[in-house]
Amino acid sequence: MYDLTLYTQIVWTSLANSSYQVLFTVAFALVLKVLGVWNFAQPALMAASFYCMYAAIDTFGLPPLIAMGIALVFTGVFAYAIETYAFTALRNRNAGPIGFFIFTIVASQFVIYVLTLIFTAEPRFLLGNMTSALHIVFGVYVTSWDIAAIITTCILIAVLYFFLHYTRPGQFMIAVADNAELAETYGISKQRYYAMAMVIAGFLINTAIFLLGSKIAFYPELSLHMMLFAVAATIIGGIGNVFGAGIAAVVIVVMQQMSVLFIGSRWQPLFVFVILFATILFFPKGVRFRGS
Amino acid sequence: MEYAASIFILIGLFVILAASFNLILGYSGLMSIAHPIFFGLGAYTSSLSVMYFHIPVIAGILLGIIVAFLFSIALSLPALRISGDYLVIASMGFQLGVLQIIRNLDWTGGAGGVTGITPLFDEIARTSVLSYVALVFVAAAATVALVAWIVTGDYGKAIAAMRDDEDAFKALGRNAVTMKIVLFGIGSACAGFAGGLYAHYFLFISPDQFDLLYSAGILTMVVVGGMGTIMGPVVGAVLLQVMPQALSFLRLPAAITGPTQGIMFTGLVLIFLFLKPNGVLGKAPPRKTDDGDDDDLASVNTSPVVGKR
Repeated sequence: MYDLTLYTQIVWTSLANSSYQVLFTVAFALVLKVLGVWNFAQPALMAASFYCMYAAIDTFGLPPLIAMGIALVFTGVFAYAIETYAFTALRNRNAGPIGFFIFTIVASQFVIYVLTLIFTAEPRFLLGNMTSALHIVFGVYVTSWDIAAIITTCILIAVLYFFLHYTRPGQFMIAVADNAELAETYGISKQRYYAMAMVIAGFLINTAIFLLGSKIAFYPELSLHMMLFAVAATIIGGIGNVFGAGIAAVVIVVMQQMSVLFIGSRWQPLFVFVILFATILFFPKGVRFRGS
Repeated sequence: MEYAASIFILIGLFVILAASFNLILGYSGLMSIAHPIFFGLGAYTSSLSVMYFHIPVIAGILLGIIVAFLFSIALSLPALRISGDYLVIASMGFQLGVLQIIRNLDWTGGAGGVTGITPLFDEIARTSVLSYVALVFVAAAATVALVAWIVTGDYGKAIAAMRDDEDAFKALGRNAVTMKIVLFGIGSACAGFAGGLYAHYFLFISPDQFDLLYSAGILTMVVVGGMGTIMGPVVGAVLLQVMPQALSFLRLPAAITGPTQGIMFTGLVLIFLFLKPNGVLGKAPPRKTDDGDDDDLASVNTSPVVGKR
């Protein structure tokens, strides 16, 4: 009943579809690592990024890549504003985790309500043409979107890895993540690198939203539901392990897609919730391998 | 008449929800956004148990309270043994997961919801409507009294100590996790109670009524009214049930009214969070006197949103 080609197709499609999930997860994990904040305002960035692109394409008739560039700047500025005007204010007030929690959750919902008012809750496609060229490789269906998504994600992750480990600003960012007060004694401005981390997260989110929006229809509340995936992957990958979270995202997507062989498709969305609870129960500090 | 009664009943139910959520968030310092789902669990348990097992409505409501309490224990026990941060993640996943299950099961009515719920009072007549308003108001007053009883006195001081400095609390040999689980359970059980009352008056429930976005409404009532105060959630619930009624007089389309109400709720929270973090009834922290007297600082309102200075 099941053959190797079917399994290969599922794995390939999963890998391609995991591209935007990886970027969302890495963005979430990066903010958590550097700022120490569970950034539940990420759905606000996601939704704002999408509708900025959508408005640029649909209302002003701009080419998709130009629209993406405009949204990239917009999302980066939005992320910078959240850090500079909200997170900093809460930090200066010595607000506890609850303060950050309330702000991020409510800010996301505020933005979602505003976007729902402007654009309605109707699902919208980013591009007029949602199809892409199809190729058959050893019996497996491969679309141009799949290839572009995987390559884009790999490049962005590689660039981020290089930035964090081989550039001075990236190393300073890791220093701030490890011990912000100690980093400041060495003349490293934690405020600057908090903002930088948020802006980088905004860029990752923007790219992911472009990939997502060119694949499926988006509606404002979708970003809230997708955030849970990023949270689960971040925990599984190990809190503080940005790239581990990305790997976890790939694994979860592949497992979720493979589950269609065993359970009905209407139960697939539950898979992430089951993974989340299993992780909290058995791997609260993330999955660790022997010797790591 | 029935419209006015419905408003008063909703006010009463949201007082129960806000007061119980204040116990969880404001007094215990537990971050959770799953309060609407316990409201929903109470509603679904009560209505379905009466529908399928033909038990009295009162028994159904009691069953709803028990189910909400048990599910809250199941949720908080694994999460809180790790840290409070995991509770918010688990609560989010729990809410979305339970709603997904409800939407996919036929016997819960699926996405369409449950209709034809048995009313608490056999006849929908003027006297029964007024009786229901009185019942809900008594229930709301009882919930506020319960919260007040819990948070005042020696146990209330222990709760405040646990919230403000958990490490010191544990160092004194107290079990913070057990206390958090119990408080979370009590708050969720109250939400389940409100759910039962809701279902057996409005006679229709659906998964969309308990979605993640409703967390914003309850959170708004607590934050705006004054987190960590007894009457703050009452003020917040009244204010934020009356305000949307002003919108209804504008006779806007439903597609505009819903998001506009949401913007009002969440916008208020953001404004209060930064400009008046202690809420309408919360006290502003007293300023340190010029002579360096620290006595006033001992009574600083340690609202979780404003840290100690």
